Amino acid sequence: MTAAETERDGVRAIEAGAVPARFARGWHCLGLSDRFKDGRPHTVTAFGAKLVVFRSGDGRLNVLDAYCRHMGGDLSRGTVKGDEIACPFHDWRWGGDGRCKKIPYARRVPLRARTSAWTTMDQDGMLFVWNDPEGNPPPPGVTIPRIAGATRDDWTDWVWHETLVAANCREVMDNVVDMAHFFYVHYSFPTYFKNVFEGHVATQIMKGLSRPDARPPAKEGRPGMLGNTSVAAYHGPSFMIDDLTYHYEGMDIDCVLINCHYPVDANSFMLQSGIIVQRNERLGGAGAEEMAVRLGDFILKGFEQDVEIWKNKARIDNPLLCEEDGPVYQLRRWYEQFYVDAADVTPEMVERFEFELDTTRPVEAWQKEVEENLARRAAARSSARDSAGGGTA
Amino acid sequence: MTVRPDERLLDGHPMLPVRCRTCGAGVQARKASWQQTSVQWSAEAVRTCRERRASVPGEGPNGGVFPACEALHASITQAALDGELPVPDDPGPGPPGTTDP
Ligand code: FES
Ligand SMILES: [Fe+2]
Repeated sequence: MTAAETERDGVRAIEAGAVPARFARGWHCLGLSDRFKDGRPHTVTAFGAKLVVFRSGDGRLNVLDAYCRHMGGDLSRGTVKGDEIACPFHDWRWGGDGRCKKIPYARRVPLRARTSAWTTMDQDGMLFVWNDPEGNPPPPGVTIPRIAGATRDDWTDWVWHETLVAANCREVMDNVVDMAHFFYVHYSFPTYFKNVFEGHVATQIMKGLSRPDARPPAKEGRPGMLGNTSVAAYHGPSFMIDDLTYHYEGMDIDCVLINCHYPVDANSFMLQSGIIVQRNERLGGAGAEEMAVRLGDFILKGFEQDVEIWKNKARIDNPLLCEEDGPVYQLRRWYEQFYVDAADVTPEMVERFEFELDTTRPVEAWQKEVEENLARRAAARSSARDSAGGGTA
Repeated sequence: MTVRPDERLLDGHPMLPVRCRTCGAGVQARKASWQQTSVQWSAEAVRTCRERRASVPGEGPNGGVFPACEALHASITQAALDGELPVPDDPGPGPPGTTDP
């Protein structure tokens, strides 16, 4: 559709191209790694394919395309035998590197007996796979940062949830910049908001007050929630780490929240959340665990609020923005880097961009300062006219 | 998917060049209101920024993120206060959170 058509009759048309035909290049989390470590093959539908996830005898977690290259058997219904996954159909043995290692009834494995294998990483209790349509390994520096609390005794274990969402995963990315929806959908009250996009990292820094109109008053003896400070960053196209502090009357609670997803296919994704909470004296004994469960439910409720919007909304490539909206187009420009070949990533996709909204200084203070500056400048100008002229205006 | 331009920059006022008064790094900046600031850096500006070069990664998993150059921030504010970087007169009701809910 052309701009002219868009403008006809003054009616704004919604434009939406096809969803991308490929899946993003980058690290994707498939969930907590422990659940894949029972020695059995697991089925995961991701990147438009059926995958088998299994731990081999050497302790490594492996991810392969689930369909056996022999006659299409489903490896995720097979059996782990030593370091290989054995197909349930004719027992061909596939290694974590994607190569067929052995055919028990044949003298030799045929040429080209190789299937798709994903590079895996088991870190901080989570299983990651590297997806790259070009088939290259992760470049140095493109990593998922370590989360210290995930392996420390003074933090809780992960409380993890997953939700299948019937929409293209761009919808969840838009949240990074969507300041206004935090108020209308999630009932929070941002007083400071900042985005920074640079390289493969997109950051959202937010300070907010809790809205007394949106939550019940604190129970007797329980401290009321005052607000939160959040520094959240997407490290690549799908994995966001949120360093989050909830401010309560008389105490702070430190958490790390994970907000991540993997595409199931072009029109659905698995949305996941994970949370760990740091123990402290005020929380006491099992208080941190309870808090983690409670916050996990709270975050799940937030996701449900988003999902309700996503499953009913239209995909839109040309959102009509007001000046008070966040940098949706700049975010999508950043996000595009993951959908083109590495050689086609342009500087504008990765160059640093910042968007800041700071409501903590009242507008009147700014206006007063401008008036003073203007008055000072006018005074300077009239005295300059008396001497030589010039100036910096 | 193609990268589309932000119509707000075409219809309203564009990003304008601003120089850091401390290190001379040149960026494109824009203020939609007194409370809002956008900054587009180039690779060269990032290399030039003195605070950026002096910065060390902070703590925590997102410690690698460089949140802001204070000197540049002050330079942009000053450019706005001096009238070099226009700020719309009537900021309207402002974003949610700045008005009574
Ligand atoms: S189809 Fe897998 S072994 Fe035959
Ligand atoms: Fe949301």
